[in-house]
Amino acid sequence: MDPECSRLLPALCAALADPRQPLADDTCLEKLLDWFKTVTEAESSLLLLQENPALVELLSHVLKSQDMSSRVLSFSLRLAGTFAAQEDCFLYLQGELLLGLFGEGGPQCWAAWSVPTVRSGWIQGLRSLAQHPCALHFLADSGAVDTIFSLQGDPSLFVASAASQLLVHTLALSMQAGATGCSGLWDGVWPACAQKIMGHLEESLQSTAAPQVTQALNVLTSTFGRCHSPWTETLWGQLCPLVARLLERTPIPAAHSLVDLLLSVARSPALSSSHGRLWEAVAQALRCLSPMQAGSLALGMLKLPHCPQALRVQAFGVLLQPLACVVKATAQAPGPPGCSMWPPGWLDGAEGSSLTVDTLLSSKSACVGILCQTLAQLEELQPLPQRPAPWPQEPLLGAAVTILRLCHGSATSSSSGGGRLCATLAGCVRVQRAALDFLGTLSQETRSQELEKEVFAVLSEYLGSPDSSPTVLKKAFQTTLRWLLSSPRTPGCPDLGPQPLLFLRELFPVLQKRLCSPSWEVRDSVLEFLTQLSRHWGGQADFRRALLASEVPTLTQQLLQDPESYVRASAVAAAGQLSSRGLQAAPDSPEHPQAQQGLLGELLCILSTDSEGFPRRAVVQVFTEWLRDGHADVARDTEWFIATVLQVVSQDLDWEVRVQGLELAQVFLVQRLGQPRCPYMVALPEAASATPIPEVLQSLCRLRLFDFAFRALLDCDRPVAQKACELLLFLKDKTAMCGGLQEAGDIPGSASGQVTLQRWRAGEQGQLPGDLQPEAMLALLRSTDLEGLQARLAQSSDHMEKSPQSLLQDMLATVGVLGENEADCY
Amino acid sequence: MLDCGMHMGFNDDRRFPDFSYITQNGRLTDFLDCVIISHFHLDHCGALPYFSEMVGYDGPIYMTHPTQAICPILLEDYRKIAVDKKGEANFFTSQMIKDCMKKVVAVHLHQTVQVDDELEIKAYYAGHVLGAAMFQIKVGSESVVYTGDYNMTPDRHLGAAWIDRCRPNLLITESTYATTIRDSKRCRERDFLKKVHETVERGGKVLIPVFALGRAQELCILLETFWERMNLKVPIYFSTGLTEKANHYYKLFITWTNQKIRKTFVQRNMFEFKHIKAFDRAFADNPGPMVVFATPGMLHAGQSLQIFRKWAGNEKNMVIMPGYCVQGTVGHKILSGQRKLEMEGRQVLEVKMQVEYMSFSAHADAKGIMQLVGQAEPENVLLVHGEAKKMEFLRQKIEQEFRVSCYMPANGETVTLPTSPNIPVGISLGLLKREMAQGLLPETKKPRLLHGTLIMKDSNLRLVSSEQALKELGLAEHQLRFTCRVHLQDTRKEQETALRVYSHLKSTLKDHCVQHLPDGSVTVESILIQAAAHSEDPGTKVLLVSWTYQDEELGSFLTALLKKGLPQAPS
Repeated sequence: MDPECSRLLPALCAALADPRQPLADDTCLEKLLDWFKTVTEAESSLLLLQENPALVELLSHVLKSQDMSSRVLSFSLRLAGTFAAQEDCFLYLQGELLLGLFGEGGPQCWAAWSVPTVRSGWIQGLRSLAQHPCALHFLADSGAVDTIFSLQGDPSLFVASAASQLLVHTLALSMQAGATGCSGLWDGVWPACAQKIMGHLEESLQSTAAPQVTQALNVLTSTFGRCHSPWTETLWGQLCPLVARLLERTPIPAAHSLVDLLLSVARSPALSSSHGRLWEAVAQALRCLSPMQAGSLALGMLKLPHCPQALRVQAFGVLLQPLACVVKATAQAPGPPGCSMWPPGWLDGAEGSSLTVDTLLSSKSACVGILCQTLAQLEELQPLPQRPAPWPQEPLLGAAVTILRLCHGSATSSSSGGGRLCATLAGCVRVQRAALDFLGTLSQETRSQELEKEVFAVLSEYLGSPDSSPTVLKKAFQTTLRWLLSSPRTPGCPDLGPQPLLFLRELFPVLQKRLCSPSWEVRDSVLEFLTQLSRHWGGQADFRRALLASEVPTLTQQLLQDPESYVRASAVAAAGQLSSRGLQAAPDSPEHPQAQQGLLGELLCILSTDSEGFPRRAVVQVFTEWLRDGHADVARDTEWFIATVLQVVSQDLDWEVRVQGLELAQVFLVQRLGQPRCPYMVALPEAASATPIPEVLQSLCRLRLFDFAFRALLDCDRPVAQKACELLLFLKDKTAMCGGLQEAGDIPGSASGQVTLQRWRAGEQGQLPGDLQPEAMLALLRSTDLEGLQARLAQSSDHMEKSPQSLLQDMLATVGVLGENEADCY
Repeated sequence: MLDCGMHMGFNDDRRFPDFSYITQNGRLTDFLDCVIISHFHLDHCGALPYFSEMVGYDGPIYMTHPTQAICPILLEDYRKIAVDKKGEANFFTSQMIKDCMKKVVAVHLHQTVQVDDELEIKAYYAGHVLGAAMFQIKVGSESVVYTGDYNMTPDRHLGAAWIDRCRPNLLITESTYATTIRDSKRCRERDFLKKVHETVERGGKVLIPVFALGRAQELCILLETFWERMNLKVPIYFSTGLTEKANHYYKLFITWTNQKIRKTFVQRNMFEFKHIKAFDRAFADNPGPMVVFATPGMLHAGQSLQIFRKWAGNEKNMVIMPGYCVQGTVGHKILSGQRKLEMEGRQVLEVKMQVEYMSFSAHADAKGIMQLVGQAEPENVLLVHGEAKKMEFLRQKIEQEFRVSCYMPANGETVTLPTSPNIPVGISLGLLKREMAQGLLPETKKPRLLHGTLIMKDSNLRLVSSEQALKELGLAEHQLRFTCRVHLQDTRKEQETALRVYSHLKSTLKDHCVQHLPDGSVTVESILIQAAAHSEDPGTKVLLVSWTYQDEELGSFLTALLKKGLPQAPS
């Protein structure tokens, strides 16, 4: 331990032990405990206690004094546990202290036990100390296990959950300690402590009280999830009949936890040889659980690599059932495409079908719940390699389209069930979003032309409908993008397929309308969509034609003036993208004077005048892309462009804009000086840079890029300084070979530059002298310890504040000071 | 879920709530119908982008229009500090904040919003900060009011919280100032102005670290008015373009401010400041007095910390902390009286400038909380957002004064409240008509018993006749028969005994159909009577009486009648 901390500890312990001293901040004790954990991980706890007797005194004081604050009491329990995690320290504290803190006559008899924090501290303390056989004996002898059993039902969620976790840990520890012989293998005999826990679990599983069953199931789920030793197989063998019996009860108790347990057992690598009974239980559960719960189990089973085929069929049937029901209920002769094409076998004999129909039709919330869950589950399953094969792409597409139509009100049904579904789902945003997400996922599969047409038709309906909410529209745009980009093309033919082409014609008028939406969310989603689509299809002739024939480019440019800053930022990105693809609004359009001004000018104006950071950041991003891609406006006079942008950026109040300015400068430097050298590229000759170095240096001075980077090195925002450091290191590396220059001290300007840097290090802000010459810059670059600075900047700027000394000082400083302040949160 | 806040005091995963307590394996969206955000302070909305974009909640989020507009600014501010200062990579991004805000459904005050078929919410004005709201959440006949943070006294730019007498089953109220009766805000303001004035008068500089939006604007109005009145020339600066932003939002949401601001708005916009100018980084080195509002508010990074480092060494200067600071920040250190601060590179910064703390937070005090409880008339009260000890005092006071149960659960603790919900039950017309046909109109004071079958279908409860219930549910009727043995002293043969029973009943029950069947048994309606010999006593006959549930009354009557014995047969 740091000597300074050691010096502060006695005073702090005394303050903690004094109930009259309020502690300023509830996070302090947590952080103090974190620190002790770090210390004890690195050092001997015993030594720590011997060197700092104040700590044991604090713990002893807690035992004697009954009027401690519950926070300090809880802290002390956890602290004692942290120390006692090491066996020698446990033995040192074992006598009166540990028994007093964790034994039967301990805190449970104190008034403070009624405070959840204290109970939680007690459990966490025990959890920390339960690391060695001595601790196990202690747990068994002190009566702690019985208390843990009772705390499983604690009114505090945190206490109950921690108690269950402790039980799992104790069981595992007990079994580990019970392993005998040099092989360390379990000899089949349950140690006493494990037996006790087993007995408790068996009893709980047979209980008629659902909470008790839930607790037992949760403990078992964690056990099978964490422990993969052979004994877990025996444990399952013993408890499996009890679990199976739960499935015979009506209603099935703790169904959710039961599903978790079955999945946890199924995933356990230790149980591979005794899965027979498990599969039986799972099959039974799939049959008798409610569709919601059966769905979760089914998905879990389908994700398993080793699930038997029959069970996979049953599980997939469960997942498909709700969608099949919807399609069946709404099927009209001759039926929507794909509805009668469910793969043979998947839905045969699905016992739950009537249950699913009942759930779907029972109430709106049940119907929405099950459909959303099913769609999300199928979405999760679709990309997995172990998904069922053949994947019923077409029926699923048909179902997704049907659901979307039902929600939209464009599907009708004459059957009573279908009519009910129409009424239930009409306008349901939750289902719309889930179905659109699912539809998006299905775009990754092969599809028939006919179905593709259906999909684009329904997407068109959604994009164009005045009833679509902004959140639904956003999803609709995302799904549309996925379908468009994954649309199959004829090999060797650059043109779009017939469906996307038809769709594009309808799309642009819709985009036009949506760009004028009163909702900023909608305008923003359209712009994001447009940016993405033009990034991928900017070179596509059909797309270009359709886009240029519309008002979309002009409207995009108009949105650069949007009142909402998010929209302005998206408009900047979209306009930048369109411009780099040569798709900008016609400059000669008389109604749009800003188009005449040129996008570059307009973006520069945004960069220097916009009051919000997002649009300004977007502008620098666009400029960087333009520079990378050699945009015509940039290539015309790159130096002017760089100088202008850097000058504006250096004044920006948003540090992210300044970082991005440095990024732009770096791209420029790489273009002039070549890629950074890779330390592993030994044999390769240096790629010749496009421009000779002295010439580049001259231009950097002209552009004041050096100036910009050195100023950034002094920036009060750390990421800016970091980025500047990175850039200057690159420059230093590139100019290292450029000899024949004078030493730093001889160059006018460089000396004061160094002084400034030194002053800055001393915590003062300084100004660099302007107009440095290349030699002076180079000398300054060489004489500055950029590597050292980089290492310093890599540390977070609050590392001092986070230090243990700082914490101890703060805690001590607060003693007796704060009164009124603490209540004033916001 | 009510609010989705963060803890500023932690830099690790403890700063956000542990959402795995909602579900470990399932999707959050399946477990929550919606999220409601009361106002833009980070302890109420700071975890929202994390929750919706990183943990995966994809459902609706409700907040008022001003909160929707201002929330992203605060979140962005916080993100920038976290990323700037600590270099945290695994943090929500600007894009995530935007995507999160796009999921928001903005609500108006007093507008009833139907979340789904069962759940509706309604916002009420809460004062505290621009856009702060209390929410009433209703499911069927049961309701909860969640106050968020609120203020029952109007301040310089906002009005007082108000709610109607909605009589919720539960009122969840904040209790920050559970035991405090706050001194008048005017006093605190006077004190603040005096300190600032004295400092600038003696040529010192005043630094006021603030968060982007909220209290800063209130202090700006205060200083602006004072400067105007006193005709002061000392410059006041506000950093990072926030004045324009604030101006924009207060203008946009003028209806949310207090009456005075709304009234004077036509002549002069309170937020268009004459004396407060935008700050430039170079100004900090200017000689002479000045007042600077700089972000962030706890002196833990960026501009406010930079200015503090420049000015700390001069005892003429002053820093005024208008809000709470978490441990570890420079703000916390100086407030707890530390005067030598170790900065980076082992340098020690000596703080000679004066340090002042001024609380301007706008929470209801004990009196205000009681006032709100009185206004809403809840059946139960639950205290949150406060300290246990202080809550205990208030809890007793509420229970005594309002005679309602008051709870103060610890974090993670579950409270169960008994309620008596009204469950509407429909009654079938057929059943009602049948009852009416039996005569006697129902009277208000004299309840009448009505038999029927309660069926629950499609989440509706209906009382129908049992025949209709059977028909609707497609069930077959079970016949339930009661049987009883009656012993009679009779030496005659069974057939004769049966005949005697028949004659007796025929003469007694004139209105009923009594039959003597060929097999010797006697029937009265559905009641069947058979006579048998006693196995042990030949002088005793056993009458086996059986009847259906429908003829329960008659069956009981007959049994009682037969038990009295048969009239003497004529000899």
